[in-house]
Amino acid sequence: METQDAVLKPARTEPAKSTLPQPGRPVPSRAYPGALIVVEGTDGSGKSTQLYLLKRWLEIGGYRLHFTEWNSSPLVKSATRRGKQRRLLTPTTFSLLHAADFADRCERQIMPLLQGDYLVLADRYIYTAFARDSARGCSPRWLRNLYRFAPVPDITFYFRAPLDVAVNRILSGRPKLKYYEAGMDLGMSYDRAESFRLFQARILEEYDKMVETDNFVVLDGTMPVNKLQKQMRDIVASKIDLKRFAPRAEAAE
Amino acid sequence: MPDLEKEKPAAAVTTETPTPPPPPSAKPAPPAEAPGQQYFFGEPLVGFDPSEITGSLIVIEGMDGSGRSTQITLLQEWLESEGFAVQTSGLRRSNLVGRDIDELLAKNAVTRLTLALMYATDFFDQVEHRILPALRSGTIVLADRYIFTLIGRGVVRGINRDYMSGLYAMALRPHLTFWLNVRPETAFGREFRKAQAISYWEAGRDMSLSHDLYWSFIRYQTMIKREFEVMAKKHNFSELDGEASVSAVNKLLRQRIAEQLGIRSTKYTPSSALSYLWR
Repeated sequence: METQDAVLKPARTEPAKSTLPQPGRPVPSRAYPGALIVVEGTDGSGKSTQLYLLKRWLEIGGYRLHFTEWNSSPLVKSATRRGKQRRLLTPTTFSLLHAADFADRCERQIMPLLQGDYLVLADRYIYTAFARDSARGCSPRWLRNLYRFAPVPDITFYFRAPLDVAVNRILSGRPKLKYYEAGMDLGMSYDRAESFRLFQARILEEYDKMVETDNFVVLDGTMPVNKLQKQMRDIVASKIDLKRFAPRAEAAE
Repeated sequence: MPDLEKEKPAAAVTTETPTPPPPPSAKPAPPAEAPGQQYFFGEPLVGFDPSEITGSLIVIEGMDGSGRSTQITLLQEWLESEGFAVQTSGLRRSNLVGRDIDELLAKNAVTRLTLALMYATDFFDQVEHRILPALRSGTIVLADRYIFTLIGRGVVRGINRDYMSGLYAMALRPHLTFWLNVRPETAFGREFRKAQAISYWEAGRDMSLSHDLYWSFIRYQTMIKREFEVMAKKHNFSELDGEASVSAVNKLLRQRIAEQLGIRSTKYTPSSALSYLWR
């Protein structure tokens, strides 16, 4: 598979009057001067560890960056918590509530930072919703429309680990799986661990379908952590002009 | 400025493609009509069989001050007197996020897209937990506003129209949709009388149309009204003159509803509890 070429960004000049597409239309990565790096993968694929290490590398180098996590907007948090606790969520409302959360982060953090020439690192992105919500039965076409306002990432890393490896990593480290996390709402099994496994298998299948259509850079989640990190850093350095994000003091020299 | 000069080559490369091609993930725009279109606007709702519907969904749309709630109160009494079970629905009434939206509106830290999606969540929560169960059990659902208001509000705030209607692809098609059309000037007077003030959102103040609240209200409601004109044609609304008297509007509503439900008589005089509405 061909991976995407390094994206060339226009030099930053004075702001034009309207630089962004209308909300509800796709935002290509050329539309913003910053850079967006995304990690995706099933639970237990190692993506968060790897993104953390990437972030540390860039932080230590002094680059301008922002880190954002799936499902973390304070504005929508209480609704999500209530919905989960009382099990009020259906596949449709589960999906919409996560989209609202993402829209809030997108409009108030991700887009302004990308406009302001930052590196933005996202632990999970819209592909999580595509994989998870279509595994729950939502229409893929509807889902694609729902997230059409999201900026297209410069790099999407997909950490792929075999089902057993990923599932065992989670099951051995976590005392109890939560209801929606285990996909209990799908009624596939009364046993949480078993339900989780079946749900993850569906999600993995959905992720695999997007590798080509969405230009995923596939990394092997079973590799030793440090070797995998080296690969990740090499790819970032080759595809993104990191100098742009170096401390501004240096640029003024 | 020497730095800018250095970066010029990059700019030169991108100017080769003045119209950026769509990103790989973009798919052609949504809903050509799909199966189930008889019941839904686009896509069927997950895990739901439309053939179970035995009730009727009757929607009343119209701007603030168009008389929607008054008419719904009266229609409910009439239908109940005719022996029908009636349930009402409206915006921000879901258990899931109804109150959260109230809070977001009060704080106004929320952006247009997030708000649009919270309203969509509220809408589908009510569809799945209240409207569909009611329709399955043969109840008449009177909806005080529906997706058309929500789509209109998003569109006038600059959100793409196809995006907004795609969001509501799984909304049930109402059996009847009425649009109580009034001039914004009339609506302003009615709304002002109600609360002795015009609220932030009714006047569309988030859109910075005017610092003069009267003009802000008029401009905002005019924009919404234009969206309604577009949707009225597309979705076959029954348009009623919302400036006619309450009893005249109510009579027209009863005639159309009676036709739909097969009720023979449209005679109705409100009970003494509601007679104050009958101006």
